[in-house]
Amino acid sequence: MIEQLRKLFPSLLIYTTEDGALDASYKWFISGNNDIIGIHQTELTEKDQAMLNAFLSPYNINFPPMTDEERRWKKAIDQAEEHPPFTFPSAIPYRFIYFSINKNQITPVFFHEAIQELFEKPVPILWENEFEGIIIEEESTSEDTPSYEQMIDILMSDLYVKITFFIGPFRKGFESIQPYYRSVISDAKKAFAYSDKTVITYIDAVPYLLIDQTDLAFRQQLVKNVLQEFIDDEDTLKMLETFVHSNLNISETAKELHLHRNSLQYRLDRFFEKTGIDVRQFHQAMPVYLAMLAKK
Amino acid sequence: MAGLNLVNIRKEYDKGVVSVQDFNLEIRDKEFLVLVGPSGCGKSTTLRMIAGLEDITDGDLYIGEKRVNDVSPKDRDIAMVFQNYALYPHMNVYDNMAFSLKLRKMKKDEIKKRVDNAARILNLEEYLYRKPKALSGGQRQRVALGRAIVRDAEVFLMDEPLSNLDAKLRVQMRAEIQKLHQRLQTTTVYVTHDQTEAMTMATRLVVMKAGFIQQVGTPKEVYDLPDNMFVASFIGSPAMNFFFGKLEGNYFVMGDQKILVPQGKVENLRKQGFEGKEIVLGVRPEDIHDEPVFLDVSPETKFRAKIEVAELMGAEIILYSQVASQDFVARVDSRFNVETGQSLDLAFDMSKAHFFDKATELRIK
Repeated sequence: MIEQLRKLFPSLLIYTTEDGALDASYKWFISGNNDIIGIHQTELTEKDQAMLNAFLSPYNINFPPMTDEERRWKKAIDQAEEHPPFTFPSAIPYRFIYFSINKNQITPVFFHEAIQELFEKPVPILWENEFEGIIIEEESTSEDTPSYEQMIDILMSDLYVKITFFIGPFRKGFESIQPYYRSVISDAKKAFAYSDKTVITYIDAVPYLLIDQTDLAFRQQLVKNVLQEFIDDEDTLKMLETFVHSNLNISETAKELHLHRNSLQYRLDRFFEKTGIDVRQFHQAMPVYLAMLAKK
Repeated sequence: MAGLNLVNIRKEYDKGVVSVQDFNLEIRDKEFLVLVGPSGCGKSTTLRMIAGLEDITDGDLYIGEKRVNDVSPKDRDIAMVFQNYALYPHMNVYDNMAFSLKLRKMKKDEIKKRVDNAARILNLEEYLYRKPKALSGGQRQRVALGRAIVRDAEVFLMDEPLSNLDAKLRVQMRAEIQKLHQRLQTTTVYVTHDQTEAMTMATRLVVMKAGFIQQVGTPKEVYDLPDNMFVASFIGSPAMNFFFGKLEGNYFVMGDQKILVPQGKVENLRKQGFEGKEIVLGVRPEDIHDEPVFLDVSPETKFRAKIEVAELMGAEIILYSQVASQDFVARVDSRFNVETGQSLDLAFDMSKAHFFDKATELRIK
């Protein structure tokens, strides 16, 4: 197909990573084989562009040029259902890390360059749009790689960019890779609707995902039955949330809320007296936590 | 250099959670301003709004004369240092400091000039070609500061930059940051939950709680004249003691204990209608004395207390006890030996005591 296109558009070239940045005087597309091809704009009429857009995917030059590995991953994800099981690239467990960056704070090219500096070896990044995408991280024993929380601080202080990460579970093999890819993105969006944390793991997100699957009537009932007269008592709800996040540890919660330990004990006793729920017990704290999530 | 002006700043998140409100503050050029308060008080959110990392829901933010609400972070002429002093692990110190300048396509010789200058200021010259792994915690934090210095920015924003360091290093870095500020004279906004850090570093400090400013002042003003019970208890360690009681005649009465109140304070309380009403007496631990000379001259602020715990700290002893069934902490000189379980006379220095309205928790001025 490319040779046929080249006959029509002699300027056609295929991008290789050695070429560096993409030339802005070309229009760029991704072919069915995941090659990035460019045609000089002077050779393209509007009609040509419309036609090429119809059977090739336009490629945004604001994105960094895809590496060979990124192209292979993209192909694996896009075509997995047609050609399972996919055998590339190795048996090392991997996970998808969803990231989201604030608009107008950093270009994908700068982001790509900075992220590569944080890992021991190059990591593939697949972009959904200019503000979100997936980092593909292989399991590593390197102690040098910073945590995702640290990465946020590094990039925030050095590049002035606000980032959130959702860390998908590790996987081995490439079966159902496309649903995995899609679920990481959709789980991330659900999780960030419930939490203002900047890094959320799949395990952290499980309660959010469970609550999100329930219908509105169930959630309303849960909130009413569990929180009872404290349903709109923001101070008590904040105390309970902090208590759960502090692993039901009274000293830590008191410190966090700048409360005296005895005052906190008193408030927990009061919640018990009024609701019959002793949040100091894990199995009773759990429904309270779920009810607070349902309220969100 | 530039000052900052925050006018009626308010931050509300998507679900109606208000994190900061009614925030009005003028930060002077070259000032070292510290935002201090417990977690969740809105101090980091305020800093991030200044940085441009959080949108401002309402209000105006000026850096110098320019309104910057809609200016992107990279164009605000600020530099930031955060709690995690993590660096790019595979770059050496030089490249760590130079990376953001390289991304901005700054010329190589200008980058070198700036990195060399920052390294000289921070005594990092001999470490420039080492990887972060080969540096101590303090050196890594200095590199993080270096990344801010190379930007040559108008304003430094620091969010708990020392909280990941051990206690000894924290004290050392505290002094280094102060020296750095004296040398560079860059307007600095510094966030911490640590009141000692706030007191020792600030030109002025802003105490925050639940999204509101509680008090703005120099460390001495805030310590000596706290506006309310929250500020009084948050600033100072151990915290100020509060005793609940009533003014009856010239005495503050709590249970069967009567403490003579200085005449000026009595008149002020009477004038404001607090006689006979429940009020709160605030006494700092160091204003409770056990020295015989003080006890002799203060017979009517004296009381007897059984010491529940006595902690010898070296030059001083921290005493935990009760008077009229109310807990208090005293800090006394260790020259006079006090032991746990001992009963002894103590006396309040009422000239330094404060009274607070029990209902509003405001200091009665």
